[in-house]
Amino acid sequence: MNSCPQADRIINYCLDQLTEEEKRDFLLHVDSCATCQHELALEKAIENELAQEFDPGFIENKIRVRLQLWRAQDMRSFWLYAFRMVVCGITAAIAGFILIPLLLDFLLGTAPKLGQYAHAIGELVSGLAPGNEFYIVLGISFIAIFAVSVYSLVQIRR
Amino acid sequence: MKSTGDDLESLVQSAKSGNEQSMTELITTHKALVFTIALRMTNDYEVSQDLTQETFVKMCRNINKVKNADHFKPWICAIARNVVRDHFRKAKKERNVPFEQIKEYHGYSNIEMTRRHIIIQDGLAKLAEKDRMLLTLTYYQGLNPVEVAKVMKMTEGNVRVCMHRARKRLRKHLTGYEHELLSTS
Repeated sequence: MNSCPQADRIINYCLDQLTEEEKRDFLLHVDSCATCQHELALEKAIENELAQEFDPGFIENKIRVRLQLWRAQDMRSFWLYAFRMVVCGITAAIAGFILIPLLLDFLLGTAPKLGQYAHAIGELVSGLAPGNEFYIVLGISFIAIFAVSVYSLVQIRR
Repeated sequence: MKSTGDDLESLVQSAKSGNEQSMTELITTHKALVFTIALRMTNDYEVSQDLTQETFVKMCRNINKVKNADHFKPWICAIARNVVRDHFRKAKKERNVPFEQIKEYHGYSNIEMTRRHIIIQDGLAKLAEKDRMLLTLTYYQGLNPVEVAKVMKMTEGNVRVCMHRARKRLRKHLTGYEHELLSTS
């Protein structure tokens, strides 16, 4: 290693971290210092080596194949994910209809039955629209489920 | 082959709209950059080829995230860095072999290298991952400290300080090889 007191400036010079004045002083010093000349040449050799480029060869086709593979897997996983979502949704709905009454029963001592749910919603809807409330509730539910599913799938796809 | 700013901008925009030809051109113009980063980090030709491919697959999948051509190079370097880091993480998990041993395992037999290159690679291998990355990004393709800071998620000032330290450490690891480094062969 360089024992010259100016040695610390060599890396600063190589990294362009000296002001113009410092650079001028440093270069003046280097002109008269053999050890710094040697060290500077060494640092430049390291820089040149570090700047070397390596060519991986023709890899474009391999990347294209990998991309096609990924797209195929992506489509498969997309449908698997969609299927899993539907299963989870149905399970959650069933669990909700069973668990919520149980929970209410536990907390309040009175739990509305499944029929009571439908009846309450039906009454609410029949106030808004005339006709068979069961079909209206069913229709609204289907539209809501469809809209949410489409939105979720679009988000996943994106 | 280096692309100018305007060329790169049109290539990136075209690739974002799904043009396969532009995507291939982006790969062709940047494959040496990514491969060099991977090779400097792993010391393994075949693994580097694999990591280069993985980087470009990720690039193609996420090209829409590039805002403009100025961000492209730091962005692709950041992907390459993450891919290399993941590789090391997996290698550690799967085989629990230290980096030095992985290097010895695969050796230098796959690529023609000068003695000087081997000395530098050996010196780099002794550095921490961050130092190695800083030196590779700065000297190869000459990313400026602002771009390096983006890739490394550091401040510009911190990059300058760390670069200085990394250079010093590398120099220390190369002690004893001065004559060979300065020889013309």
